[in-house]
Amino acid sequence: MKEFQRYLLDRIAAANSHTLSVYRQQGGYKAIEKVLKTPLKPEDVITVMKDSGLRGRGGAGFPTGMKWSFMPDVTKDPRPRYLAVNADESEPGTCKDRVLMERDPHGLVEGCLIACYAMRAKAAYIYVRGEYRLSYDRVQAAIDEARAAGLVGKNILGTDFSCDIWMHKGAGAYICGEETGLMESLEGKRGHPRPKPPFPAGSGLWKSPTTVNNVETIFNAPFIVERGAEWFKSMGVPKSTGNFLCGISGHVNKPGVYELPFGLTARQILDEVAGGIWKGRKLKAFFPGGSSTGLMPASAIDVVMDHDSVKAAGSMFGTAAMIFLDETASIPQVMDVTLRFYDHESCGQCSQCREGTQWLHQMFHRIARGKGKREDIDLLVSLANGMAPGKTICALADAAAIPTLAAVKHFRAEFEQCVELGRDPLAPTHAPAPELQGAH
Amino acid sequence: MSQTPNPAPSSASTPAPAPAPKPATIKIQVDGREVEADPKQPLIRACHDQGVDVPMYCYHPGLSPVGSCRICQVEVAAGPGQPSRVVAACRTPVSPGMVVQTDTPKAHETRRECLEFLLKNHPLDCPICDKAGECDLQDYSFNEGQGKGRSSEPRRKLEKRKSLGDVIVLDEERCILCSRCVRFFQEVTHKPQLTVSGLGSRSTIATFADKPLSGNYQGNIADICPVGALTLKPFRFQARVWNLSKTLSTCAECSRGCSITVEALRGKEVKRFRPRFNPQVNQHWMCDVGRFAYAPVTQALPPEGGIVGGRLVGAAIRGYHGLERVELESALAEVADLLRAASKPLVLLSPFVTQEEARAALELCAGLGVAPRFVSPAPNNLKDDLLHTGDPCPNRRGLSELGVAAIEPAAALAELAAANAALLVGERIQSLLDVAALAKLPATARLVVLDVAAHDLAALSAAIGVPTHVEKSGQWINVDGHVGVLNVAVPAPAGVAPLERTLRELLEHCRAPAAR
Amino acid sequence: MALSPKLVREFDELVTHYPEKRAGLIPALHRCQEENGGWLSPETIEDLSAYFGLEPVEVFGVASFYPMFRLAPRGKHLVSVCHNISCTLRGAEELLAHVCKVTGASVGGTSPDGKFTVVRVECQGACANAPMFDLDGVYHEDLDDKKAEQILRSVK
Repeated sequence: MKEFQRYLLDRIAAANSHTLSVYRQQGGYKAIEKVLKTPLKPEDVITVMKDSGLRGRGGAGFPTGMKWSFMPDVTKDPRPRYLAVNADESEPGTCKDRVLMERDPHGLVEGCLIACYAMRAKAAYIYVRGEYRLSYDRVQAAIDEARAAGLVGKNILGTDFSCDIWMHKGAGAYICGEETGLMESLEGKRGHPRPKPPFPAGSGLWKSPTTVNNVETIFNAPFIVERGAEWFKSMGVPKSTGNFLCGISGHVNKPGVYELPFGLTARQILDEVAGGIWKGRKLKAFFPGGSSTGLMPASAIDVVMDHDSVKAAGSMFGTAAMIFLDETASIPQVMDVTLRFYDHESCGQCSQCREGTQWLHQMFHRIARGKGKREDIDLLVSLANGMAPGKTICALADAAAIPTLAAVKHFRAEFEQCVELGRDPLAPTHAPAPELQGAH
Repeated sequence: MSQTPNPAPSSASTPAPAPAPKPATIKIQVDGREVEADPKQPLIRACHDQGVDVPMYCYHPGLSPVGSCRICQVEVAAGPGQPSRVVAACRTPVSPGMVVQTDTPKAHETRRECLEFLLKNHPLDCPICDKAGECDLQDYSFNEGQGKGRSSEPRRKLEKRKSLGDVIVLDEERCILCSRCVRFFQEVTHKPQLTVSGLGSRSTIATFADKPLSGNYQGNIADICPVGALTLKPFRFQARVWNLSKTLSTCAECSRGCSITVEALRGKEVKRFRPRFNPQVNQHWMCDVGRFAYAPVTQALPPEGGIVGGRLVGAAIRGYHGLERVELESALAEVADLLRAASKPLVLLSPFVTQEEARAALELCAGLGVAPRFVSPAPNNLKDDLLHTGDPCPNRRGLSELGVAAIEPAAALAELAAANAALLVGERIQSLLDVAALAKLPATARLVVLDVAAHDLAALSAAIGVPTHVEKSGQWINVDGHVGVLNVAVPAPAGVAPLERTLRELLEHCRAPAAR
Repeated sequence: MALSPKLVREFDELVTHYPEKRAGLIPALHRCQEENGGWLSPETIEDLSAYFGLEPVEVFGVASFYPMFRLAPRGKHLVSVCHNISCTLRGAEELLAHVCKVTGASVGGTSPDGKFTVVRVECQGACANAPMFDLDGVYHEDLDDKKAEQILRSVK
């Protein structure tokens, strides 16, 4: 793996990297200064974001500049506009945004300012998952410092650009990481995703034009504005530019959050970054980008880690939350755990998702405990195909269906074995924790 | 949305023509037919308006659409030859040229899948469920379902008989979480009382802290519940809906005159009232006062075969030995004599008489040389912002339009006390005047009562039974001038003639005394 | 009962962050829960609904949606053990069993002395430092039985 330029995690090595003074020492707030003092036109900022090729880092990989350009023409639509920063980070395996928020919160603040300027948004709301207490406190402290320094609020840096940034807490629901579920939750309601159309840029927070972006996506903005689109495009591969944060977990020697360029193979990441599979064991399977991307078999380990290559290989880049399983991992058990998650997190609106996530969970649970039946395996596929794609208000149904299909596709034999044996040969052997009756 | 192009600047002196007015409807294609669609309504309405039965659970035309049940999925393409995709019709705006197909294998497959998911946890309660026979889950499963479920998993175990107050019972296991009931209270009564509680497969419908539901509109949520999750306590286990005859009628409990359906077991005993859609009067709703008023409609016969103290079947005259049953002809002849002999008999109408009955009464009064009035009780305290007018007279406006003046019960009783003959006409007239007060009138008042029930009144000279409002046909006019029709839902007991006919025969008797 | 003046002052400032007051509801629910022993009583729901101009059933519906909001009393300390994929792969179930042993609580329940409530939670975003638990809002990561026990025993 050759040397590559770093920028995302460049500043966090410094002590107190989360403070304003250290941020400034390390070159912070130069980007917003450039924007406001040149001054750049909002449209020009959007153009440079488009040219950079930055794709959203929240899982969908949608081109960020294009998303920003969906905001309506301000001369024709006088409604206030908002940026919502998705810091709900709840995709299983994903633990990268909290690194930025805990260790470099001013980077996020500056990114918000640039995004709000580009989209003429009057305020940014940073929706942080309720469990991320340290992230919340660090970003709030950074906003307070920035406000005191005239960088947030009215007339920023003495210009007529005014922008507020508010922290907002979630309360433990994964579905509030879905754009429209996030907006419902921010408005003080149950986090039920909204049917689309309308789309957030047309009708978002409080029916106003809104753009929802992931933390890491926004975090990239100051670098792109300051160093230029060409610089950004010099990193990664043509259709997945820049660097990304890769969260590596599971059966590896060196789990962690790493800044990486696009274009490495999963094998390179496993062997050269994560220290290989632990305990001298062999790789069995891996999730390339969070549980919703579904398992890839060990044979797919040479997949190139960029958005389009992973898609072409039959999975998704997602949040680059790479979870590695060794040969002792039971696929039925992993799928039981995975579907338990989607069963818990379905908001319950759509019939297929509400019933289907529970049904799939019950089936994987049964199979993993040796109570599977032969016809279960095909039924899993049939149910997953009944849930997705595109049959529900949001993609949580897809997030449950895709891993189901991938597991059966790549590991059918293991499921069949559990059925034939009447037990899971790879089942954990420790005594389970005592469960309160009725608790789930 | 197409825009009218700006006319190019012209060098001619004539001004540019004004842009054409935007059409109220747009043209789309539904199942191969070109139809006009209202652009303000979702696609599902365009389909329904054309008689295309796209299934629905969470959608209801009286509530905002949420697109959650996913049963209304149809195939749409932006235009002919364009690629089609499956969408939820209730949340899809119509656009000009849209090509909609509701009957394709893909649309049916999507609905079949959706039904299988709904039936995964839904209990097999049909044999004990009130909703059987009018259940959208049954109906669509029969139309589009797959007949045999593939689940071997245990179903959710939840509360099956949760009382939500005096009107509604909730069966949490049957609920398919369409949220219509939640939206009803939010959007129609403007006072949220229900919520979805929890999330995912653990969701249930709930009130806060087990508080019972309140207000006068609770029954509507049992109507709009697509399954048997919400049932009406008074109706539980009373009848199988396929044994109920259904007759279009009008509610009698206030001057709103909500359109209703009267449903009677085998056409004989009224088991429930349900609201009927009427965009000008009551939309899809009715209040609980009106909904549960069918109970008093069935009036028991007097005890031990007596004449007073219950439903009056036939006619009775006060002879030397007290009230005696007589043939209707004979009663009419005696009443005609009594009325002709009196100088200016008092004629009072119940506000429950129909226009047809009122006209017959007016003709009779013309023949007697008197003007009738209708008893007009004071407004009650049930008036609300939704339907109930607080005026207990279903045909006040109709009678007023016929020129019949109103008289308050107290004033009427005063006149009755001084009268030497009075004719009281119509259902509930005695209770509107107050039976206890009537009982105090002297025998000289010589009341002739044409009412549903007979009471032990010293002043009673003759009584003739009349049909209730579910036993007659006719028209009322509601507070806003809309006609409310009545139809015979159950037959009046044998021996009870239609009031209009009784009045006309009475008039005949009044005109031809020499024939005897 | 009514919200304390301190909370009212906080909420009065909080709602100025949003164009519509209701957006302050979930942050306010958090604060009320913090001030009320880690759970939301019916009285608190009613107080909040009065403050936000909502019906109690609406506030209840919101609170019931979110796993972090507890609608019944719990033990003094809340131990939330992640049981999602990365944590399970690195011993979350064994950790959970040990936590129950040390605290005396069953999963989903409270220890007999009322000191600990132990619950399973979904991915907490500590995947690279698995397994973990959250104790009273603080993450404890890279746990083994020994470390977990040490942490729990040092809690007052």
